[in-house]
Amino acid sequence: MTINDPGDEKLDRLLRMRRVEAVSGDLAQRIILRARETQQNPSLSLWQSVRELCLEFHLPKPAYVLASALVFGLVIGFSTPNASVINNNDSAADASVQSVFSTDEALL
Amino acid sequence: MATAWPDKDDHELLTLIRDGGSQAFAQLVERHTERFYRLAFRYLQSRAAAEDVVQDAFLKLWENPALWQPERNSKFTTWFYRVVVNLCLDRRKRKTAVALDEEIEFKDDRPAADEMLIQAQEQKILEREIAALPERQRTALNLCFDEGLSNQEAAEIMGVNLKALQSLIMRAKTTLKERMKAFL
Repeated sequence: MTINDPGDEKLDRLLRMRRVEAVSGDLAQRIILRARETQQNPSLSLWQSVRELCLEFHLPKPAYVLASALVFGLVIGFSTPNASVINNNDSAADASVQSVFSTDEALL
Repeated sequence: MATAWPDKDDHELLTLIRDGGSQAFAQLVERHTERFYRLAFRYLQSRAAAEDVVQDAFLKLWENPALWQPERNSKFTTWFYRVVVNLCLDRRKRKTAVALDEEIEFKDDRPAADEMLIQAQEQKILEREIAALPERQRTALNLCFDEGLSNQEAAEIMGVNLKALQSLIMRAKTTLKERMKAFL
């Protein structure tokens, strides 16, 4: 396809001349009036809400460190083994120790 | 509604809108309504439908100003073009029949009127052929031939690189040339 192709030129001209019906003069006002009747919905994503909250309270950097440490602590806390499992393991270990002692006593 | 802050840029107005600033919203609407209407009209070929789309788009923004995220969308107009294009495509999907098939009536016999009628017919056929193009080619064409929109901006709106956009335009124009042979 060459640049000087008259077909190309005419097509370009037609594309630039595409007719657009004039917009109603009051469209902007109609939109503004409709917006006045409509409530804003300030729903934010979780991350945005956190950021807004931090901005709202003007939290200093140490507060972020403290909050991160708390979150980290919670994660560590929840990831440790269950206490009942630990107790069961302890009682099993105690029983095996006692059996060794009783064997030793029998020898004596 | 009187508009304040003509000197404020879109980003500043949107920050005010997020805080419920109706004056800022009015300013933004008055600044951009016509440009987005033009684009919507090129898709829908109906003033009422194009106006509805523009109104819906602005009201969505008003209801949920957090939809526009400056850190993700560098320029308001780039993002809003995308919103308007998507609304137009949704509407076109819902409305299957496009009212472009009616024939033009040649009622006026004056020679000066002939030229205008031929032009009008060419435009009508062009619109019909553009409407028949694949969606992405049509969008590329609509964005690039919209006043004041560079190829780079159009590529950003479509989320493609410049070469891909140029390729879409080239393919669209080749198809149009083929289908409109008799008029070119």
